[in-house]
Amino acid sequence: MNPDDIDKEIIKIIEKDPEMPYSRIAELLQISEEEVKVKLEMLSDTRQKILIVDDELDALIPLKRALEAEDYLVVEASSGMEAIEKTRKAHPDLILLDLMMPGMDGFAVCKVLKDDTLTGHIPIIMLTAKGEIDDKIGGIEIGADDYVTKPFDLGELKARIKMILRRTDV
Amino acid sequence: MVSKLIFKDNNYNLLTILIICVFAIALIIFLGSKSNEEVHNIVQEQFNEQQLLLARQFTDGIEEFLNQKTTIIEILANEISDKPPDEVITSFVNVYNETTDIHVIEFVNESGIVTLGCPEENRPLGYDLYENNQEGAFERARDNKETYISRPTFLLEGGMGVFIWTPVYRVDEFKGVVLVIIRISDISDRFLKNCESPRGIYMIDKRGTILYDSSNRYRWGRNYLEKLGNENPRLQQILHHQMNGSEGIGYYSEMNGSEKRLIAYSPIQWRNQLWSVAVTSPVSEVDTLINSVYVKQGVFIGVSGIFLLLGSFSIILLLTRWNKSLELEVDSKTSEITKSNELLKRANKKLMELDKLKSDFVSMVSHELKTPLTPMKTSAEFLLQNDPDVNVRREMLELIVRNIDRQTRMVNDMLDISRIESGNMRFRKEILDIGEIINSAIETMKKQSEEKKINITTDIPTDLLNINADKDKLIQVFINLLSNALKFTPNGGNVEIKAFESEKYIEVCVKDDGIGIPPDKINKIFNKFYQIDNTSARPYGGSGLGLAITKSIMEGHGGTIRVESTPGEGSVFILKFLK
Repeated sequence: MNPDDIDKEIIKIIEKDPEMPYSRIAELLQISEEEVKVKLEMLSDTRQKILIVDDELDALIPLKRALEAEDYLVVEASSGMEAIEKTRKAHPDLILLDLMMPGMDGFAVCKVLKDDTLTGHIPIIMLTAKGEIDDKIGGIEIGADDYVTKPFDLGELKARIKMILRRTDV
Repeated sequence: MVSKLIFKDNNYNLLTILIICVFAIALIIFLGSKSNEEVHNIVQEQFNEQQLLLARQFTDGIEEFLNQKTTIIEILANEISDKPPDEVITSFVNVYNETTDIHVIEFVNESGIVTLGCPEENRPLGYDLYENNQEGAFERARDNKETYISRPTFLLEGGMGVFIWTPVYRVDEFKGVVLVIIRISDISDRFLKNCESPRGIYMIDKRGTILYDSSNRYRWGRNYLEKLGNENPRLQQILHHQMNGSEGIGYYSEMNGSEKRLIAYSPIQWRNQLWSVAVTSPVSEVDTLINSVYVKQGVFIGVSGIFLLLGSFSIILLLTRWNKSLELEVDSKTSEITKSNELLKRANKKLMELDKLKSDFVSMVSHELKTPLTPMKTSAEFLLQNDPDVNVRREMLELIVRNIDRQTRMVNDMLDISRIESGNMRFRKEILDIGEIINSAIETMKKQSEEKKINITTDIPTDLLNINADKDKLIQVFINLLSNALKFTPNGGNVEIKAFESEKYIEVCVKDDGIGIPPDKINKIFNKFYQIDNTSARPYGGSGLGLAITKSIMEGHGGTIRVESTPGEGSVFILKFLK
């Protein structure tokens, strides 16, 4: 069974019987009790969701920790394909997208997402180690909402994220 | 500019050129005919003059000859006036022998009878003039007491002759007449025969009697005017002029009208006789003369034209050849320049490729150097701004250390390559067991191979010969090869390291079943900074220095490294160490 369907099933079951224990739900959907717990937590989570896309695991982890500490819900993706998949599934409020990635690079991912009406509204901040001007122009032309050069200042990145999220909230 | 103007209106200009040409040709023809006419006139004049001179020459000669003879006869007559007959005949013989062209000398006594004569065969001794009614001339000479010349008449012996009657007087006593006969044919033989054709010569006396005619048309003795009758009035007119003793030039046409002839005539005035000699020639002779001049001029012009043509042709040939050799030289120079340009272009292209390689490398290196900085900085700032729990703190610190190691490796690679470039790579050689080296490299890469679930197997004989090498560098070689193999082999793949001894070498093969290397890229992978895929989407990181460093280390040990690969199936790196 597909995870989206599981989410919908869990919501249906809870609507019928809000008092049903986790073990019963797990039994009904043939998944582990722990998974049900996580799903329910996810579903009840009202935090803003940020998708971080980077092939470098080492770059991903500290950013994830820092953003979680700011009380964002962080979803990770380590390749372009995964990023598109996760965006469609999890509907993040913001995407931090690395430019240099194996396979599908940041430009391509950005173009795909911005061309899709379902995901086109999601703001994207491009992250890259290359500080060249043509990257900057390329990133903005494709529709990236902002552009941050690696290694970035954590405080500045957090400020930009906040600014963009406030703008979309309005 | 000029040619443009000329050829602006083609038709109009063609017409103009045509008209100018026609005009020029007409002018040339006009001038030519005019000058031809002038030349013709001048030549004609000269020719006429010449003909007249010729006639005059004839008449002068004849006149002088006859006068001379007459004078001699007169002297003779004077001499013999008081001489006895035998002395007279001696004188006659002397004169006859000493002078030429006298037909006969006779003495006619006072009663008109021929008494003496010389030569014997021509003297009609005893011939009585009175008996034969021929006393007219005799009496005229006697009465006038001077020489009388009777008009040419037929001789008894045949032919025509002229009779010179010179009276002989002793004081006033008439003794007789010395008669000398000169044959006309002798005169004409002496003076007129040697005349070239197409000229004709004739001689007439004042009555128009023909004395000589070179054309033999009319026999001597006939009257020319009578012969002509009513025909040819022009010639008749000329004959009349001649008979009047005039000198001059005239034209007439032959009786059949075909040929126009020129007559130059001159008189012979000899005592009481008047004769006239005429030289005739066809008028066309002038044209022939002019034509011969033209022919000569034409030949001259033709020959000089041919010489000029040959000369200019050879000059043109020379120039053409010269031009051709120049062209050839220019061609060869041009091709040389083209070649050197080509070389320069190629060199430039190579330099540009090299430059691109360098700048690619610089951006690559900057990316690779920056990449570890991002997690380090983010982790450090996170730790500074927050106070996470112990696990997170440890995780962050480990991450920082790992990235510091990564950057250190990168910097070391860079240092290695710069040492290789400057030739400063040093080897601390010692006796080593290859198996140990390989195992130590595998140990280093263990974590990465486990992450990708790649199985590394070895097949190394235990009794393999030791080699003399730099331990750290050799470990680096195998780490590089293993790291490449792991990088390009998908999860769950296999990597095999095999060592064996051959006759001269110890060989080590590092084999993977990864993505392989495309055949067109296989020669480049050991180049510095080379990466098969250097686009931003390249799936495999790295500085592009690993294999270049590996190759340099192998060569530094006197060994070699080569690669065999099939795309999609895997690659084998084969190392050879000298024993």
